[in-house]
Amino acid sequence: MLPQNMGNETNIKLPFSFIFFSIVALVFSQILLLLNGQMMVDGSFRLPAIWSSAHLLILGWALMVAMGAMYQLVPVAFLTNIWNEKFGFIQFFVTAAGIASFSGMLYCAPQKAMIPGILTLVGILMFLFQMVMTLKKQAKPTILTAFVGSALVCLFLTIFLGITLIYCLKTGIGAEYYQTIFKIHLLMGITGWFTLLIFGFSYKMVPMFSLSHGFPMVQARYVYSIYVSGLVITIISFISNNSVLTKIGFFLLLAGFSIFSWHISIIIKKRLKKKLDKPFTFALLAIGFGNLIHLAAFIVLRTRSFSTLAGPLIYSYLLLWIVLSIVGYLYKIVPFLWWTYKYSKEIGKNAVPSLKDMMNEKIVVPLFSLFVAAVLIVFTSFVFKAAILFNIGQFILSIVLIVISYSILSVLKK
Amino acid sequence: MNLKEKVLNELKTVYDPELNINVVDLGLIYNVEIADDADVTITMTLTTPGCPLHDSITKGVRYCVEGIEETRNVEVNLVWEPAWSPDKMTAEGKSYLGR
Repeated sequence: MLPQNMGNETNIKLPFSFIFFSIVALVFSQILLLLNGQMMVDGSFRLPAIWSSAHLLILGWALMVAMGAMYQLVPVAFLTNIWNEKFGFIQFFVTAAGIASFSGMLYCAPQKAMIPGILTLVGILMFLFQMVMTLKKQAKPTILTAFVGSALVCLFLTIFLGITLIYCLKTGIGAEYYQTIFKIHLLMGITGWFTLLIFGFSYKMVPMFSLSHGFPMVQARYVYSIYVSGLVITIISFISNNSVLTKIGFFLLLAGFSIFSWHISIIIKKRLKKKLDKPFTFALLAIGFGNLIHLAAFIVLRTRSFSTLAGPLIYSYLLLWIVLSIVGYLYKIVPFLWWTYKYSKEIGKNAVPSLKDMMNEKIVVPLFSLFVAAVLIVFTSFVFKAAILFNIGQFILSIVLIVISYSILSVLKK
Repeated sequence: MNLKEKVLNELKTVYDPELNINVVDLGLIYNVEIADDADVTITMTLTTPGCPLHDSITKGVRYCVEGIEETRNVEVNLVWEPAWSPDKMTAEGKSYLGR
């Protein structure tokens, strides 16, 4: 028996800084959307207020949560310490300043968003550097390394293309490529970065939270190769403007996602924990939504309604797959961080609460159900261009997200 | 009750905070060795090598055993071989999971 002492716990102040910022950004993004979102009902998604809200949601909330979670989960999943925690704190301040000023500038004067955009880019590049240096220390790369590594490449491309879009907007140079760059920016950001990242960490978190054992992992290789092929072919189709290739690309993305769903269901069937925690169950439900939206996108692509439905589909993918997954896992990650901070020195000496005691699970089902219902109402309002439905749905959604944020932060009272 | 039994008994107060099952019933404790009547060496594992509660649980085990009056030196060896599997759980541990 080989003794090993691999203490890989990160200083929790680092992931917490990201998560705090993200929750504030989430609240602001919802308020902005609530005040300015009516125009989206008419199909006008490209408006300064919507840009600002979308970037606060995607960069300020989802990206910052993902970064915070990665500072916590990478050492856990890859059995290696973070390369440089001090550098991590500097990266946090640079990225937070960048995103806050970038979103503000998108709202007030989008043409001047270049410099805050570059600051955000620097923060994200610092994060990528940190992660590359950390992953390099990993003794034996696994399929999780491929998922997370590819997600990081997609994140870099998303940010690089985003900055290129601002440059095009400001100078008018390359205006003819604007549409193509915009589509690749969306594809890389949403399906590349977030989906690959959630896939990768799901392979660590799903068995951990369900206590699954003895499941096969061979399917993960198919998920990776098929999904990444789908991304590459879809990018090529956007560049070459080839609709057949787009269909093939979308089909591969659907196939990759479907194999992932099937694989996760196999892992869940092998679980020891009979009764799963409620927030985790919703994170699993998000996989079903993501799969369904991929299927819908593939079907709609074959019709003439794709240009009309693309916006609502992206919206629902963001909310029902990415946001729901992240929120579900946050209900596990935040109590863990706080528990470690407050009770890790008490365990073995005094009675300590369980992680489940740190959260009020009773509100999860009604709150998350309302979240799903609100997103579906907003989706319907986009499809039928019904302003009243949008107002109702978005109002419920904003309130629910604010309550979720409060409920996540309330763990700090425990 | 000899010291080994006492140690095992006390370890039942150390819980995995995620599963809310004590480390003994969870089958994490592989061996308890007593040398010179008071030096304790615990060989243990975790349910997965990437367990985020790694440090907390191993420290908890150490603190707990150090708290027993009759112990002098306490050493905790964390091992991954043999890997933890569900069959290492006690019947009581399994019942906590609804099995």
